[in-house]
Amino acid sequence: MLTEYGTKHAVHVITNHFGDLVAKVCECLLRKGPLTRQNVKRYTELSDEQVKNALLVLIQQNCVQAFTTEQPDGPKANTQYVVLFDNILHRVRFAKFLTILSQEFDQQCVELVQGLLEHGRLTLKQMFDRAKSSEKEGNLVDLDSLRETLVKLVTAHYVERCPASEPLLMPISEEEGPARKKGSKSAKKIGEPETIEQQVVEAALPMEAMRFSVVTNVESDVGEKEKNSNNVTPGEKRKHDVLELDECGVADEQSVVYRANFEGFIRRLRHKGCIDHVRAHLDDGAANVLSAMLQATSSAEKKVKTKNSVPLSLSSIYEEVIKSEAGRNMTLDHVRASLVQLGELSFVDASSDSYSIDFEKIIEIAQNEEVESVVSKRYGRDAYRIFRLLSKSGRLLETDKISDTTFVEKKDAPKILYKLWKDGYLLMEKLVVTGARQSQFLLWKVNRQILWKHVLDEMFHAALNLSLRVSYELDREKELLNLPADKRTGPLQDRYNRIRKVRILLESSQMKLDDAILLFHDF
Amino acid sequence: MSKRKRPDSNAPSDSLTDHERLIYDVIRSKQDMGIWTRDMKRELRVNLPDNIVTKSIKSLQNKSLIKEVVNIHSKGKKHLMAVEFEPSKEISGGAWYSEGSLDTEFIKVVKSQCLKQIIKLKVATLEGISDSIKRSGAFKVDLTKQQIEEIVRALVLDNQIMEVKSNGSGEFTNIPVGKVCYKNVSKGGGGGEPKTGSLASIPCGVCPQINICKPDGVISPKTCVYYTKWLDF
Repeated sequence: MLTEYGTKHAVHVITNHFGDLVAKVCECLLRKGPLTRQNVKRYTELSDEQVKNALLVLIQQNCVQAFTTEQPDGPKANTQYVVLFDNILHRVRFAKFLTILSQEFDQQCVELVQGLLEHGRLTLKQMFDRAKSSEKEGNLVDLDSLRETLVKLVTAHYVERCPASEPLLMPISEEEGPARKKGSKSAKKIGEPETIEQQVVEAALPMEAMRFSVVTNVESDVGEKEKNSNNVTPGEKRKHDVLELDECGVADEQSVVYRANFEGFIRRLRHKGCIDHVRAHLDDGAANVLSAMLQATSSAEKKVKTKNSVPLSLSSIYEEVIKSEAGRNMTLDHVRASLVQLGELSFVDASSDSYSIDFEKIIEIAQNEEVESVVSKRYGRDAYRIFRLLSKSGRLLETDKISDTTFVEKKDAPKILYKLWKDGYLLMEKLVVTGARQSQFLLWKVNRQILWKHVLDEMFHAALNLSLRVSYELDREKELLNLPADKRTGPLQDRYNRIRKVRILLESSQMKLDDAILLFHDF
Repeated sequence: MSKRKRPDSNAPSDSLTDHERLIYDVIRSKQDMGIWTRDMKRELRVNLPDNIVTKSIKSLQNKSLIKEVVNIHSKGKKHLMAVEFEPSKEISGGAWYSEGSLDTEFIKVVKSQCLKQIIKLKVATLEGISDSIKRSGAFKVDLTKQQIEEIVRALVLDNQIMEVKSNGSGEFTNIPVGKVCYKNVSKGGGGGEPKTGSLASIPCGVCPQINICKPDGVISPKTCVYYTKWLDF
């Protein structure tokens, strides 16, 4: 269930990128859930044409997915549309995705993905046309090299084939329930029911082999497909290849549509977040070791929210560490010592001489620190200690016990606890004991699940506020910003300097806050 | 008024009036918990007028038979106790309270000493910290193991030290496997002061009004005074 500010933030992003009309349709789907086109028209009171165009834009940009459901008594139900909230959030992260790419690939790769992010989805022909229209002299684009670039990106899982346009969603019977989704890549835990959005996304996904394959019309490129398809039997595959070659690669260049694979980028950002967190807590050595472990095991990860990495021996880790420039100076002892440090903090699990990263632990600690920081800054040091006590204990504690353990004055503790409770950071329970005299005790607790949702909503609220303030500030100085540099003298120059600093501060704060949203929503 | 000598009495209560005797008995029966004057009046078997009670209490105090103590749960109320008792932890607040308030100076000193020993020892058990403090002679009176434990727990909550379990090797050599130890929190936020999080770095993160702030409300990002101050370059 989306929170209020999650919805508001998403609508604001869509408004900024596509205008009010598209945003109205998007908001309708966010608030009402999956709807048919008829119902969208009814709720938004827009014309049929307007609704259709808005949906087309949202689908093109991967923010909405169409689907149909099976009716037990005959014909398929009408097509419904579900909004892909996560993909709307990703829209403010495109710069981060491109930065990752620029660290791992060349400029042509970055430009290709830039095109995909801008246009939502493209065929190879469209990518070629786009590259051609902006080619510079001495740097001519040819189709083969573009195809090679695409293959590189698809192999690395940063680009994928677009999903089915209208998958059929099978209804889940009550007996099957959450058990059906055991092992499904989108369910967080076994038994946690999937949302319709998650079910539709999964139903729409092409088979893994198909999803990360590039159709070529050159026989030698069949080898690439072999690398990608690992669950197709040889007989079938050969038949498939021959058919594909016969059907003419040129037609496929115009019909097979590709898009950026957000999952691939988010997984990479998750890794990066873990490395940064380890560097902040320990040192560069530990960060290098973690980075090496990720390098060696990331291809084995099946989903974004992987709990643990594949176990590695010390020697495998060391081999990987010394491959990088940063790790070349590390001795085996140094690596061993870093692993011990990582183990102390439970960031790495060590058992029978093999080591495995505990992603969940690293992320849990990072999340705790984020919330504790807010408590400390907003409510003070005493509240920080109280919150940490309740958060660590995970159970109900009585007021006096809290004040004793945290060394907070008995008269101050209830006031702090009440404030935290009023703002949604704690749960409170009353306990009445009847004896010689009736006594009332107040018990307090941190409920992580409820609190994390509340904190995420505050983050969406803050993200929206930052965005609104940026627009407000830039709007106020619109004329000044349009003035040529030589006309900006005296106080105008001062104001210009100010608005530059304001923009840098607000935009960098937006990016930093988005890291926190990633931590709570996507990691 | 009778003046009977009580050979086995342990208080010079030989010159008490009947009223004083009644009141004194009730107060004394509460031992180290003491009693609030109003509760005490309720417990008397007879209904004494207020002026008599007040006069009797004053007399008992003058005879050094009872004293007034602070009950930290209700500091404004007059709480009485027989002189031979020390207030229990429940009403005094314990070792860390002095005259009804937390002895913040004392706590600060003990925290600082514990942290100093933990940094010196690099990895320390509770016993190690306790021995180290005793040897340092920093305190005139020995701190109990419980006091050290309470302070160390508070240092963990302050994020100045962290709790780890010994694995018996490396820096944990000589410490049994599984034993709880404490280490100084290494760099990061500079140990003690947590690194400011992303949400806490912006006005909204620390704003007490976030729940009533709305995009077009009276309190909004456009009208926000905290933003204005933050962007005042």
